[in-house]
Amino acid sequence: MQRFQNLFRATALMAAALLLTGLTWVTWADPTHAQSSVRPPGEALPLGATDGSPSNALGDRSDADVWRQIRGADGEGGALPSTSPGRKVPVYEDILRELQGPVARDNSSSATNTRLIQMLGDNWRQVRLDYILPYAGWVLAGVLGILVLFRLLRGKIKIREGRSGKYIPRFSMAHRIAHWYLASSFIIMGITGLIILLGRPLLAPYIGKEATAIMASASLQGHNLFGPVFILALLIVTFRFMKGNFFQWADFKWIIKGGGLLGGHASSNHYNFGEKTWYWIVVIVGLVMSATGLLLEFPWLTEQLIWHQMSTILHAAGAILLIAIAMGHAYIGSIGMEGSIDSMLRGEVDENWAKEHHDLWYEEVTGKKIDHKTGATLDAKAEAAE
Amino acid sequence: MTILEFVEGPGFYVSGTIFALAALWRLAGIIRLGKKKDIAPARGSAFTGFLKGNLRHFFPRGLFAQRTWMHLLGGYGFHLGLFALLLFAAPHIAFAEKLWGIELWPAMPRWAFIITAEVAFAGLIVLWVRRFSDPVMRLISDWDDHIGSWLTFLVMLTGCLALQESHDALRALHMGFVDIWLIYFPFSRLMHSFTFFLSRGATGASYGRKGMTP
Repeated sequence: MQRFQNLFRATALMAAALLLTGLTWVTWADPTHAQSSVRPPGEALPLGATDGSPSNALGDRSDADVWRQIRGADGEGGALPSTSPGRKVPVYEDILRELQGPVARDNSSSATNTRLIQMLGDNWRQVRLDYILPYAGWVLAGVLGILVLFRLLRGKIKIREGRSGKYIPRFSMAHRIAHWYLASSFIIMGITGLIILLGRPLLAPYIGKEATAIMASASLQGHNLFGPVFILALLIVTFRFMKGNFFQWADFKWIIKGGGLLGGHASSNHYNFGEKTWYWIVVIVGLVMSATGLLLEFPWLTEQLIWHQMSTILHAAGAILLIAIAMGHAYIGSIGMEGSIDSMLRGEVDENWAKEHHDLWYEEVTGKKIDHKTGATLDAKAEAAE
Repeated sequence: MTILEFVEGPGFYVSGTIFALAALWRLAGIIRLGKKKDIAPARGSAFTGFLKGNLRHFFPRGLFAQRTWMHLLGGYGFHLGLFALLLFAAPHIAFAEKLWGIELWPAMPRWAFIITAEVAFAGLIVLWVRRFSDPVMRLISDWDDHIGSWLTFLVMLTGCLALQESHDALRALHMGFVDIWLIYFPFSRLMHSFTFFLSRGATGASYGRKGMTP
């Protein structure tokens, strides 16, 4: 029975191929077409499609309709009407009937049992090629350029009063392990993900297709393997860092002062507005990345093609957003600002750094008062005055 | 001879031989150091103390467990995961069977491999992060510790990257790191895999002879 089905399918495919060949032959053998391609009549009206579809495939009938129906009727992958009013076009239906055969197809996400070309897939491919791939590279290159420019213009942000040599605890061991756990898995996910996304257009021209294929294969395995590690790390960070990351009134004033970048002193609590925003972006976008990543790793979770396509687009866009901001975060948290790396390496920060960047938190943990315009300790001023 | 043939052939034999001989040499050296004779009368069994010292240290005391639960989880996750991968991963068993020409035990299924690898990686990352985050750990750690951690990580990582078994280059990369790891192992603190029972046992025996619980 199975052999008969296979035989029938093969015959149907051959019939479809013959039909398409015939269609092509009719197009090119049509004298109207031949004439128009050599020398169009001077007063002739433009016939056929103006949307790029092949012209005059069916003589006086609109071949654009045929192509629209083949591509999914409404161009959006919607349901296909059996015929257009007044313009019955049997070609598509014949081909479809031949392709479908007597056995009902399964309703998998990639099955095209109602149309010849899955327009949803074509649209998704266009979005990926026209927007995701080019913009991904440019966004990351742009952020890198901004960081270099920032470094050249502003230089390393020093502690205004220099290091005091006195340290106050800022992050516990559990905080630091959670942070670096997420950071390390994020770096692996980021590198492997970028190779998967941009390897073909960016690496292949330089290292060749074979080497790119090897790197892509390795990256895919690594990406899939570390995905759950990233999710676990994300959940730990979400709960471990939640306290203190809700927005407060001081954050509004921090924004007004541009975080101190526009001059003057911007007060902040344990986390400033930028850090809080980064935290919520990591949590929200990270969860979206996790959900879409799981859907991509386990595609059988849904049979709807749109979910898979949305997942790839959201996953890529989210990844670019996270990587772009993470570059800034990593810069300002390490070589960009004096003393900031101590908080995540040693778990403690210099007092002068704390007064300058997190004065409200400093007051809270030390009980000392600070002049919020300058960041200087009021007690010290009083002592100096005495 | 291709790179893969080299790292799985002569390269593997040489590194394996260095690993075995050097590890034995170091173990013999430690055992030959001996111990200064204890002239005090024995109040308990040194041998029982040796065993107790080894077994009891697998379970931390309550207070320590509370303070180091992350280290504990990471440590057990990494070590158990690594041994499970080493002994039960299908490619490892296939390689060993081909090497020795004997039939070994059945391999773990792929889903179990993935979960085990996840646990092992998670544990290794936690342990490494703790090494440079904890002030005491940072103080007592040197390059040897970091190189050992990174080499082990790279061996595991390249192994997982080659999981698809579709490119010889990835397999060669993994085997290359395995060879390097085998050569580095006996000359580094990775030797703790073999020496931990001696150090725990020595402390346990000393306590046991004095009639104390190690």
